[in-house]
Amino acid sequence: MTEIRIIVCAKQIPDPEAPLSDVSVDAEKMEVIVDAPQVISPFDENALEVAVRLKEEAGGKISVLSLGKKVSDTVLRKTLAAGADELILLEDDNFENLDSHSTAAALAGAIRKIGDYDLVLTGRQAGDWDSGQVGLILGEMLALPCISLARDISIEDGNVLVKKNIPEGYERVKAQMPALITVSNEVGELRYISRTKMLKMMRGARSIPSWSAEDLGVTPEALQQMGITALSSPPDMGRDCELLEGSPDEQAEKLAEVFKTLR
Amino acid sequence: MTPHRVMFWQIGNVWIFYVLAGLATGLFLAGVVAYVSVWKKSSRSLEIPFSKEALKRMILDTFLGRRVLQGDVAAGLMHLLIFWGFLSLFIGTSLLAIHHYIFTFLEGTAHLIFSFGLEVGGLMLLAGVIWALIRRYLQRVPRLERRLEDAVVPLWLLLAALSGFILEGLRLAVERSPWGGWSFVGWCLSGFFSPAGAEGLYPYLWWGHALLCLGFIAVIPYTKLFHILGAPAGIYLQGASKPIVLGMEEGAGEFDLGDAIFFDGCMRCGRCVEACPSVGAGEPFAPRDFVQALRQALWQEHFPLGDIRFMSPKEESKVDENFWYCTTCRACLEICPVYGAAFEVVTKKRVLAVEEGTMVPKLLNQTLEKLFKYNNPWESSKRKRGAWADGLELIDLTKRGAEADLCYFVGCTTSFDDTAQMIARSFSKVLQTAGVNFGILGKKEPCCGDIARRVGELGLFEEQRKGSEELFDKYGITEVATSSPHCFHTFKNEYPEAPFRARHYTQVLRELMAEGKLRFKKGVEATVTYHDPCYLGRHNRIFDEPREIIRAIPGINLIEMTHYQADSLCCGGGGGRMWQDLQGEVKMSEVRIREAEATGAEILITACPLCLIMLEDARKAAGLKEPFRVMDLNELVLQAL
Ligand code: SF4
Ligand code: SF4
Repeated sequence: MTEIRIIVCAKQIPDPEAPLSDVSVDAEKMEVIVDAPQVISPFDENALEVAVRLKEEAGGKISVLSLGKKVSDTVLRKTLAAGADELILLEDDNFENLDSHSTAAALAGAIRKIGDYDLVLTGRQAGDWDSGQVGLILGEMLALPCISLARDISIEDGNVLVKKNIPEGYERVKAQMPALITVSNEVGELRYISRTKMLKMMRGARSIPSWSAEDLGVTPEALQQMGITALSSPPDMGRDCELLEGSPDEQAEKLAEVFKTLR
Repeated sequence: MTPHRVMFWQIGNVWIFYVLAGLATGLFLAGVVAYVSVWKKSSRSLEIPFSKEALKRMILDTFLGRRVLQGDVAAGLMHLLIFWGFLSLFIGTSLLAIHHYIFTFLEGTAHLIFSFGLEVGGLMLLAGVIWALIRRYLQRVPRLERRLEDAVVPLWLLLAALSGFILEGLRLAVERSPWGGWSFVGWCLSGFFSPAGAEGLYPYLWWGHALLCLGFIAVIPYTKLFHILGAPAGIYLQGASKPIVLGMEEGAGEFDLGDAIFFDGCMRCGRCVEACPSVGAGEPFAPRDFVQALRQALWQEHFPLGDIRFMSPKEESKVDENFWYCTTCRACLEICPVYGAAFEVVTKKRVLAVEEGTMVPKLLNQTLEKLFKYNNPWESSKRKRGAWADGLELIDLTKRGAEADLCYFVGCTTSFDDTAQMIARSFSKVLQTAGVNFGILGKKEPCCGDIARRVGELGLFEEQRKGSEELFDKYGITEVATSSPHCFHTFKNEYPEAPFRARHYTQVLRELMAEGKLRFKKGVEATVTYHDPCYLGRHNRIFDEPREIIRAIPGINLIEMTHYQADSLCCGGGGGRMWQDLQGEVKMSEVRIREAEATGAEILITACPLCLIMLEDARKAAGLKEPFRVMDLNELVLQAL
């Protein structure tokens, strides 16, 4: 089997598991403040996991790209600990709040700069805004065959075989490489990265390259910020709890009464 | 003529016997060398620490069969019969050799006593072996396996002993010596043979007997008989001191000499299988099988003569999947004749699995991530920790200037779980009533590291331990009371440099009772039973304190379940099992709640948040209704104040 070169795009976001109570809104600054640790977007972790498995099977090289105004290499080094060979941070002041198209443009610049690759993997959508667009636009920009919502990926004779989620189940799709695939959670969780491994990776002297917009050949004018026109806290939904007492039959009857009044 | 024994009577070509004996010894030694070579390769060092305690224990356990008797008197007696029978014959033969080759002493009275002793030894061996066969093949004791060697070994011994007696009978039939009666079994048998027939038959049977005995020595290392050597060695080493918590760099996931010898000393007696709650719940894990699989794995890896496979890759991966079932309840160690702690080996395997990363069960993977990010396994937030105390007006020790005599370490589960929060509220109220000046750590309370440690995430455990130690140090905390036996165990036994003293709340309550600060004014009229949490009871031997507290409450009638104290059954929540969705036929907690209900008690009392949650869930699932209830000890105490 020939070795494969994989590029994984991984976004750093505030932990989507954080409860709503730890999320607040600054209406003036138009900012959503999440009091939670930064993590790699879960679907991107899924993408990384398939990448590592494919590499374990066929050998090759994995490069991880992460884009933002400021990306924490302590968060992203997890990708190296998981088995990626190279981590490249795409950092620029102009990369703040980019819309999907501009994000894709910047990533495309980085991927072209890397040049040699067989697969580009992204998560099906990011865990913060859930737009699910960057991957597909990126495929378009790079003029690659593009398969979304992969639940299983394998390589055969230089082609990539993908099981792709559809509402009724899945389709089997085959594409020539290089190709772009957006990955769904069914491929499996990212393997566990122990603290010992992480610490070793942190202590490792390896310097993480950082590319700016200029390095990628994108001009600031070409980048569109996401515009927020209005931002407000979710309305207080107010919860009212009433306990229905009695035997199960009585309780059921009372519950039915409640439902009737709600109609 | 003085009584004596004729050596090699009627036997020609004695040199053949010497050749065979040499061969048997050679085979025996080759086997032993193979073991040592495997041990050497599978552990970092062959260093054996000297410990008087361990030596004493080894000798007593070996010769008195204490561990085999414990919990199964029948098995113990059977084993003692075989052990002493075999040993006295072995010693007898050795004495005979000394008598023959070195100096003559088995004459006269000595010979008579010697003859008599051997008869008794032989009879004991026979009785023991027959009993063993009955237990395994007629009684079919459930914990015993019936593999080929399980039949071959006792039958071999049986034939050796029988042929020995018959030989003696033949000899005596010819000799008819006046002192023959001392060899009373042989003497009785001699009546069946005519002198002429006996003399003809004797050499053939003699060679058969010799072959059986020499062969027996030769096969010791190649069958479960190896436990003759392995078990005492294992017993010695398990008692010798080991470092409490090894770091990853110090080889935390590696086996040591004690482990390797434990695997080889395990004679598949199945006691652990009987005791293991995972087996009881029909889960695909059994400590004996796990230990045997590891044994095979070690031999496979380090076999002295090249490549060999004892297990298929599928069997190997099954082992790796299944050790997550162990709750680290310690029940197996309690009864293993060689003090094998299967759960400690399980933890080592988990360390390796966590390091490798791909085999960590999904929910556990998520839980570990959460533990790292939020320092608790429950909530993706640090904020709500301490919310249970709203309205109780407790001192927050992390606030400027706050001070108290006692720090109540609530623990993750008690802080976050709705059911378990009851423990924290009741305990706080009890302490308030008793006038104890105590405080909590509020939002800053960390995780003690129990989960990380039990599931093998040692890097995380070390970080958590360091964090906790620094925190306690920073706020000058020296006295800690925990809700959970798990936090208690971890602090007490796995924080070698702890700057504080940790106690479980049952100990604190017991002390308050002794000091007269805790007085039960109201009684509680109820029949109750008490579930020993594994990490309070078995792991830390706190059996009496909770019971003394319960009994001190007026009106209470405490009755015991079938399994209690060191024999208690695990609820299934320990060892990280709370955060894994492994499936069994029934739940361990259900087995336990049924047992509690069967006592006829109205209240099942426990002293651990995990037990409380598991048992309460099991009560609901089993549809056990009021008045039967599950309660934490604090709740009961609070009611009685
Ligand atoms: S510690 Fe408990 S669950 Fe684990 S093997 Fe031993 S008896 Fe079974
Ligand atoms: S581990 Fe101990 S209790 Fe279990 S089968 Fe082996 S010797 Fe017996």
